[in-house]
Amino acid sequence: MLSKLQKKTLIPTQVAGYAATLLVGAAIVMLACQLYADIRPLLTQQTDIFRGHSVTLSKNVGVMQTVNKKGIYFTDKEVEELERQPWVEHVARFASSAFHAKASIAFGGQGIYTDLFFEGVPDRYVDVQSEAWRWDSTESFIPVIIPEDYLNLYNFGFAESQSLPVIAKGTVEQVQFAVTLSGRGKSRTFRSRIVGFSGKINTILAPEDFIGWANREFGEAENSAASRLLVELGDASDERIPRFMEEHRYNVKQDELENSKMVFFFRVAMVFLIAVAMIIIVLSVAFIIMSLNVIVQKNRDLYRNLYAIGYSPRQIARFYRRTVGIITVADLAVAMAVAMVLRSWYVGRLATMFAIEWSAWPIAATTAILAVALVAAYDRIVLHTIRKTVEN
Amino acid sequence: MSESEVSGSDIYLQPFVRFERGRRYMVCARSGHGKTSLLNFIYGSSTSFDGAVDLHTEGFDILELRRRHLGCLFQDLRLFPELTAMENVLIKNALTGFKGEAEVERMLDRVLSPEKKRQPVATLSLGQRQRVAAVRALCQPMEFLLMDEPFSHLDRNSAREVATLVDEELTAQGAGLIVTALDPIDLFSFDQTLNL
Repeated sequence: MLSKLQKKTLIPTQVAGYAATLLVGAAIVMLACQLYADIRPLLTQQTDIFRGHSVTLSKNVGVMQTVNKKGIYFTDKEVEELERQPWVEHVARFASSAFHAKASIAFGGQGIYTDLFFEGVPDRYVDVQSEAWRWDSTESFIPVIIPEDYLNLYNFGFAESQSLPVIAKGTVEQVQFAVTLSGRGKSRTFRSRIVGFSGKINTILAPEDFIGWANREFGEAENSAASRLLVELGDASDERIPRFMEEHRYNVKQDELENSKMVFFFRVAMVFLIAVAMIIIVLSVAFIIMSLNVIVQKNRDLYRNLYAIGYSPRQIARFYRRTVGIITVADLAVAMAVAMVLRSWYVGRLATMFAIEWSAWPIAATTAILAVALVAAYDRIVLHTIRKTVEN
Repeated sequence: MSESEVSGSDIYLQPFVRFERGRRYMVCARSGHGKTSLLNFIYGSSTSFDGAVDLHTEGFDILELRRRHLGCLFQDLRLFPELTAMENVLIKNALTGFKGEAEVERMLDRVLSPEKKRQPVATLSLGQRQRVAAVRALCQPMEFLLMDEPFSHLDRNSAREVATLVDEELTAQGAGLIVTALDPIDLFSFDQTLNL
C-alpha cells in the first residue's frame, strides 16, 4: 500500500538520468583501476632485476679523464650519498679483476687467443638462472655471462654483413674454452664456458666470489674503487631520480629510466582518468540527491500525513532507500559487466605481447566499494531528509 | 491567542484539566479559538504552548502513542487522494493489524455505498471523505479518540450513522472521547462539556 502511494512520487526521467551518469562514471573508474593494475606490472617488469628496479650507474668520461682515470671511480662519499637517497634501496659496486686473463680456444688445429677482463656483481642482480653459475675453488671451472647485446651484435650486424651463419644461444653455451690467469709471477689455466646472456648488465660477468679469490691470488694492484654501481631503486617512477642523475652528471642506461618515466606518465594519466570519472560519479550522486530532495519537497504533505497516522520516518524512507539502493547496485553490476567486456577486449590484444593475469579483482573491488559507499550514503541522506520534513 | 481571548476558557489558563478514560467530552468554541490547537497539543503534533500535557504514557514515543493509544479524526482529514477508500483505511490498519480486512469492509459498508469503497478518495465528496476518515480513526487500539469537528460536512442522518459506529467502537475498547465542535452536538451522551 505504502509503496503504491510512493511509487507515483518517483520521476522516471530523473532516475534514468542518474542511472546513465552513474553507469558511465562507474565503468570508467572500474576500468581505469583494472587497467592500472594490469599494465603497471608490465611496465615495471621491464626494469626489474628480480627484486626491484635496478640501474647501472657510471660517470661521464670526459677528455680530462682519459689519462687520469681517478675521476671515473665512485668515491666512498659519493656511494654514501647515493645510499642516503630516499628512492635508493641498495647500492652494489661492480668488482673488477686486477689480474691478467687470456682466453684461448683450439679451432681447426689452430689456437685463437684474446685478452679478457671480468667483473662481478652480487648474485641477486644477475638476471640469468643457471645451475652452472657458481664458483668452487676446488674445481677448475669459471662460469661466464656475457651481454645479450654481444650476440645480437654478431648475429644481426657482423654475420649479416659478412654472410656468415648466425649462432644460437644454446650453441654458444656449449663451447668450452680455456682461461689463463696470471699475475704475481704465477699463472693457472681454467676451463670456462658461457653459461648465459644478460639483458641487463653490460659487462663480462664472473661470479663475485671468484673475482675476490682471483684478485687475492693473482691481483697485482689493490683496486677497490668501482667505476660502475648497480643501484636498486625503491620506486623507479620517482621524479627525483632523473634530477639527481643530471645534477651529479651520472650516466644511466637511458632505456631503463625511459621505462621509469613511462610508468610515471602512465600513473599520472590513470590518476587523471580516475579523477574525471570520480567527478562524473559525484555529479550523478549530487543529481539523485537533488532529485530526492525535490521529490520530498513536492510530497511533503503525503509524508506528514503518513507521520500523523503513525508511520515512522524510517518506514516512509524505506521505499526510496530500497529503490535507489537497487537501482545503484543493478547499475554498478551493469557497469561491472561493461568494464569486464572492455577489459577482455584489451587483454585479448595485449595477450599477444604479454602474459596478463586473468584476475579482475580491481573491477570487483571498485564495484564493491562504490556499492557500499553509495548505498550507505543514500540511506543516511534519504532518512535524514524525510525525518527533517515530517518532524518540522 | 491573547490572554483576553481565552480568559473564560475551561481549559486554557486553568491550572489543571483532567480527561478520564471511558468518559466523553465535548469541547465547544467559536472559529479560531484553539479547538484544533488543543487536539494538536494532546496528539503531539504541536508543542507551541506553555504548560504540560501528561498522557500517563511514559516510555512510549510519539509514534507508539499514535498507533496504540490515541485515535484521531483530523479536521483536514489527512487522507491519501490517490488511494481508494478501502486502501486509506487499510494503510492505517496495517500499522497494528488491529482489524481484519472483512471487518474493515463491514465498517465502511455502514457509512459508504459499496462502489464508493473501491473508488479513489479524490473522486469522493467531502462528506464521503469525512466518513472514510472516521472509519480510519477507529482502526487501531486506543484509550482516547480525538475528533476535530467530525460532522462538519455531514447531514444529520450520515452524522448519526458515523456517531453510532464510533460509539460502538469506544464502548468495545473502553476508550474516552474528546470531540470539538462549533455548536453543541447531541449525537453522543457527553459526560462533560467544556468551553474554550
